[in-house]
Amino acid sequence: MGAINKKSLFVLIARLVLAGVFVMAALPKIQDPIAFAASVAAFRVINSDLSAWVALFLPWLELILGLGILLPAIRRTSAALIGLLLFIFIVLHTSAWVRGLDISCGCFGSETGEAASDYRWLILRNALLLGATLLVLRQDWRNSVLIDN
Amino acid sequence: MPRYFRELSIIALLTGIGVAFSLFSGLAPLPWAEPELAPGEIQLVDARALDVLWVDARSEDDFNADHIPEAILLNDDYWETGIVELMGAWLMNPRTIIVYCGSESCGTSKRIADRLREALPDAEIYSLKGGWDAWVQ
Repeated sequence: MGAINKKSLFVLIARLVLAGVFVMAALPKIQDPIAFAASVAAFRVINSDLSAWVALFLPWLELILGLGILLPAIRRTSAALIGLLLFIFIVLHTSAWVRGLDISCGCFGSETGEAASDYRWLILRNALLLGATLLVLRQDWRNSVLIDN
Repeated sequence: MPRYFRELSIIALLTGIGVAFSLFSGLAPLPWAEPELAPGEIQLVDARALDVLWVDARSEDDFNADHIPEAILLNDDYWETGIVELMGAWLMNPRTIIVYCGSESCGTSKRIADRLREALPDAEIYSLKGGWDAWVQ
């Protein structure tokens, strides 16, 4: 019983960390979508027109997912989408690193004019968050199986 | 499966409400509207109408690969040599200085333009919106 509680506590901490990171990442970008659009465009994966749309939708999606991972009504899908976003972020950072792009991350809003990203740290951070997401997803999946049975 | 579809619908709806709030409150510009210029920026079409002294703030490799004709290489790594060359050219023929870097948001051109404004307070200095990408398009 003690082991189960310990595991549940660990998952709860992972859930809170993910919620905190996504909410904190979303708020500055919602406040300054123009700067975030510039950060998105700097990755040179999509054109500037599409960057404006991404800068409009992505911060709100991050905010909803950050809060949603704490809400029983939508926490399973929120966790799955957070995992998907983190995977995409890892791919994008790896791609920018390989292409030698001298850009800032833009992860927590505008960082234009600051030093270029430390890609190793960004990828490691997102990989750790992805690991936490998988932990949360596993617990949610087990709970849903128990409820269904 | 219907449960996940329901959860996805709720997330999409809430995200949509947030996006609508950003648009209607004026927090975000309309994505389909023409982007405004940031302070100190200039559009390429306006730059072409001026007598310009171009400053390339990209890396030396990028500069050697290709650059705007008669542009001067000036970035943080080549500041000392580049600023002497730039001052010489500007004093011989004072004109608008426009700094460009690689793309829309590389940030280097704005930083170099700020440094130049301190070094040449009498000069009219801009950073090129869109950078080198805008030039090659």
